[in-house]
Amino acid sequence: MGGLLTEVFIASLLFGAVTVGIPLLLAGLGEQISEKSGVLNIGIEGMMLMGAYGGFVAAYYTESFWFGFLAGGFLGMAVAFLMVLFCVLLSMNQIVIGIALTIGAEGLTALLHHFQFSRTYPRMPEVPTLDIPGLQNIPVIGPAFFERHPLVYLSILLVVFVAWIFRRTQIGLNLQAAGDKPAALDAAGVNVKLTRACAVLTTGFLAGIGGAFMANVGAGLFVPHMTHGAGFIGIVLAMLARGKPLWVLLGAALFGSSLALTTALQVAGLNIPTDVVQMLPFAMVIVVLILFARHSYLPPALGLPYHRGER
Amino acid sequence: MRSLMIQVTRRVLMMGAGIALLAAVSAGAQAGDVKKIAVLVPEQGTDYGWNQQGVDAARAVAEKFGLEFLPAEGLGYGDVRPTLRELADEGASLMIAHASGYNTAAPEIAQETGVPVAVVDKPDGLVAGLVADYTLSGHDGAYLAGILAAKMSRTGTVGIVVSGEPPSWNSQSAGFAMGVKSAGTGTKILYAVIGPAAYADAAGGRRVTESVISAGADVVFGQGNGSSFGMIQAVETTKAIDGGKAWFIDVIGDKTGLDKGHLLSSVLWDMVPVYSAMVEDLKSGAFGTVGYKIGLVDDSVRLLKTKHIPSDTWGELMEVRQQIIDGSVTVAEVYDAQDVRALMTSVEVPAE
Repeated sequence: MGGLLTEVFIASLLFGAVTVGIPLLLAGLGEQISEKSGVLNIGIEGMMLMGAYGGFVAAYYTESFWFGFLAGGFLGMAVAFLMVLFCVLLSMNQIVIGIALTIGAEGLTALLHHFQFSRTYPRMPEVPTLDIPGLQNIPVIGPAFFERHPLVYLSILLVVFVAWIFRRTQIGLNLQAAGDKPAALDAAGVNVKLTRACAVLTTGFLAGIGGAFMANVGAGLFVPHMTHGAGFIGIVLAMLARGKPLWVLLGAALFGSSLALTTALQVAGLNIPTDVVQMLPFAMVIVVLILFARHSYLPPALGLPYHRGER
Repeated sequence: MRSLMIQVTRRVLMMGAGIALLAAVSAGAQAGDVKKIAVLVPEQGTDYGWNQQGVDAARAVAEKFGLEFLPAEGLGYGDVRPTLRELADEGASLMIAHASGYNTAAPEIAQETGVPVAVVDKPDGLVAGLVADYTLSGHDGAYLAGILAAKMSRTGTVGIVVSGEPPSWNSQSAGFAMGVKSAGTGTKILYAVIGPAAYADAAGGRRVTESVISAGADVVFGQGNGSSFGMIQAVETTKAIDGGKAWFIDVIGDKTGLDKGHLLSSVLWDMVPVYSAMVEDLKSGAFGTVGYKIGLVDDSVRLLKTKHIPSDTWGELMEVRQQIIDGSVTVAEVYDAQDVRALMTSVEVPAE
């Protein structure tokens, strides 16, 4: 093992951990916003998948990663609009609709990919980076953290921004009230359904960008079903985080690091069952859940449709 | 009284003979009655790999025997029972469940509907006339790929990246490792699984392959379905630790048309002989009594020759191929994941 732990190898593992963590962070933050407003957004996996597809198509044809991320965000938002329509406006079951949206997105993106790319499998060029002067030259962590696409830095800053929104702004208060006591929010003259709709659309946008990041930066291409459950991990992270964006960041970092560790253990040639090694990220999340989520806070109105006048 | 008993006995015997004859004719008709062949695959049959080979081979066999072809593509890795029932209702004479994840559901539906099924990775599950297994392995071809990798490696390290550990891939990983070892170059082998059933995890394929290259590998043997495109992206965008090019050796399909100069070779599979044998066995009534295999001898397993392989190396590989066919070189079939990992560890040359 010692011979393997070269600077290049460790940097590569850390680089991979960050690449895995960013889509989870964006999805988790989005889910947190949605849950705070009282909408359990199970369809986030579908939003990521649509974002991955749309983001790849846009980036590939415009040769711009930024257009790709934007397009991915808007396609994620389009799926979120269906969630708004069925769950917020028509008060249908959030879990059923969320699952239906995910399955629908899986089928649709696979079909579109089949007609468009299944004979050519185009791939993106190398990812452009914004190198942070001074920090990029730090051994091991420099290449992993400070030679990245600007979206990586923006995603980290987004954590601070969302935390500020939650704690310091009227929007944050409205979101919390929509999930805690929607009737009280309504009585205060704020439209509960509009608040929830905006929250879900924001979730879709962030999840879509996360999917686009996964396709354009993580894989460099799109293949059907490629999100591979990342959206569901995002939901778990959001629930673990107890309404605190910083905890989503820590959870995403933990999951990404654990995945990197599984690769390191395998490459080291340890003869232990792969299943045991592969359980590590999930086991870590479960342990954290047991240790910290006992007092987790879920909005009382989470998953419940709001009807004016009902108690 | 006696004549009455004789008459009754005669009639019973004649009825019995008639029933036996009818049953034999009926059984013969069933055995020979193959009109439609269905294939079920988890992803689209355009992946230049497992799914495409399965669909293309079934289509070719349908054309060969004049059968109607019923493809069911992109079914995912969940429950395929409804699709199997639907295909049975459509009159499928044989349903090829082309994914290891289908090998529980398919035999159940075969029992339920009476329509024969072929499954993978369940060699102990044969049921005469109903369930056949075709656990295919290109381990002989992977052995040749291992020799090629060892000879082409500049860094003295090669990698194996897989998106799961189904028996077919385990045997190829083992075959590759044995091939590397046989080359006698002291080449080190790194082994990594992307994740549990990460067949479509292209991002994971890229991430793990980049790590394996960063750990020293300059030739990567990848088995991955959709995730293999992530592996290819990794070898195209990551330089080996000596600053040179990283190579990729693929399996099952031929991705030459997508290559940007990094595809060293591929262990190609041709499933037409296997599916043809299934149809013939259905006709003869032998279906479900034997498993099916592919191998070097009939070119149903072969190594892809690319322009990147030096001609003298290719010549050496073809000599070894002939020795395997002759039986003078034997490549063990290793299907268990733990045995595969042990093999990696045992062939690893400690760092000096």
